[in-house]
Amino acid sequence: MTAATLPLAQREGFHAPGVEIFQWPDIVHIEVAGIDLSINRVVLQMFVVVLLVWGLFYLGFRRPKLVPSGLQNVMESIVDFIRNQIVLEVIGRDGLRFMPYLTTLFVFVFFGNLGGVIPPVFFPLNGRMALPAVMAICSLLLFISVGISTQGPAYFKNALFPPGIPWPVYILLTPIEFVSTFIVRPVTLAIRLLANMIAGHLILTVFFVATGYLLTSLNISSLFGIGALVFSVALIAFELFVAGLQAYVFTILSAVYIAGALEPEH
Amino acid sequence: MSDSGPSGPPREPSGRGSEMVWSILGTLVAGVLAWGGIGWLLDRWLGTRYLVAVGILVGMAGAFYLIIKRYGSG
Repeated sequence: MTAATLPLAQREGFHAPGVEIFQWPDIVHIEVAGIDLSINRVVLQMFVVVLLVWGLFYLGFRRPKLVPSGLQNVMESIVDFIRNQIVLEVIGRDGLRFMPYLTTLFVFVFFGNLGGVIPPVFFPLNGRMALPAVMAICSLLLFISVGISTQGPAYFKNALFPPGIPWPVYILLTPIEFVSTFIVRPVTLAIRLLANMIAGHLILTVFFVATGYLLTSLNISSLFGIGALVFSVALIAFELFVAGLQAYVFTILSAVYIAGALEPEH
Repeated sequence: MSDSGPSGPPREPSGRGSEMVWSILGTLVAGVLAWGGIGWLLDRWLGTRYLVAVGILVGMAGAFYLIIKRYGSG
């Protein structure tokens, strides 16, 4: 029995939101050859974020001026940040050709996360596995192809057989290196982002629902509701920080993997 | 295996604290998964029950060896 079906007097206490806050009903049901391509709120939000990211870059760099102002200024500082703090720092000058991928990745992940704290959206796009998984697979395919194109087939030899180890030990280490490079890397990349967004969304939802519950209970607990409200606002600020941090971590780790594929281990 | 790599100017290592931590964690997880998985498969194949535990320990040992080899000597 849900709390909403009961009269207020019989309400059996606070019901914490759970997994259901991540599940959205289909808005348009589409099925092609047995594959579910339905559009729900999350997919719609993804379309909006794609358009937003495209629009920001288009408007920012449509008529670039030598002395940037307004949106161009903002977008240039984002590109500068990726260039100096991630690409040059982690990969070096070689990495400048990966700037477009890494910049897009950062901005897209960031705006995807940002939905979690922006009213009335209040849902982080990366709180569903699909997007983090696809982006992690993109990074995986990218660093594998970078490795093959710079080192040839020797890339796999270098990745699976770390130098300076007596050969019988490879029986022990090669399976570990394989799982570590080609399975654990993309999986942790995706799960780190997903789990952070799920946790943030759950905490925010619990706090806001609790604030509403406490404030409307009209007894002594209403006083605690004020505290919960203050804390909810602080949590929004914290989630804003997490949104940026996780976008940064996703991008910098992708850059680290690319850098690792560009040259064999010493 | 020989240490032949592509020629070119050596680049300064781009190791930063947090990346190293993630890499070490990833290696540990990979060790447990790889050899734990092999142990689990052997268990299924041979009908035994203890090889998954042996595999996890072997994987951890291998992961430690790899981490020490890679980061130990600075």
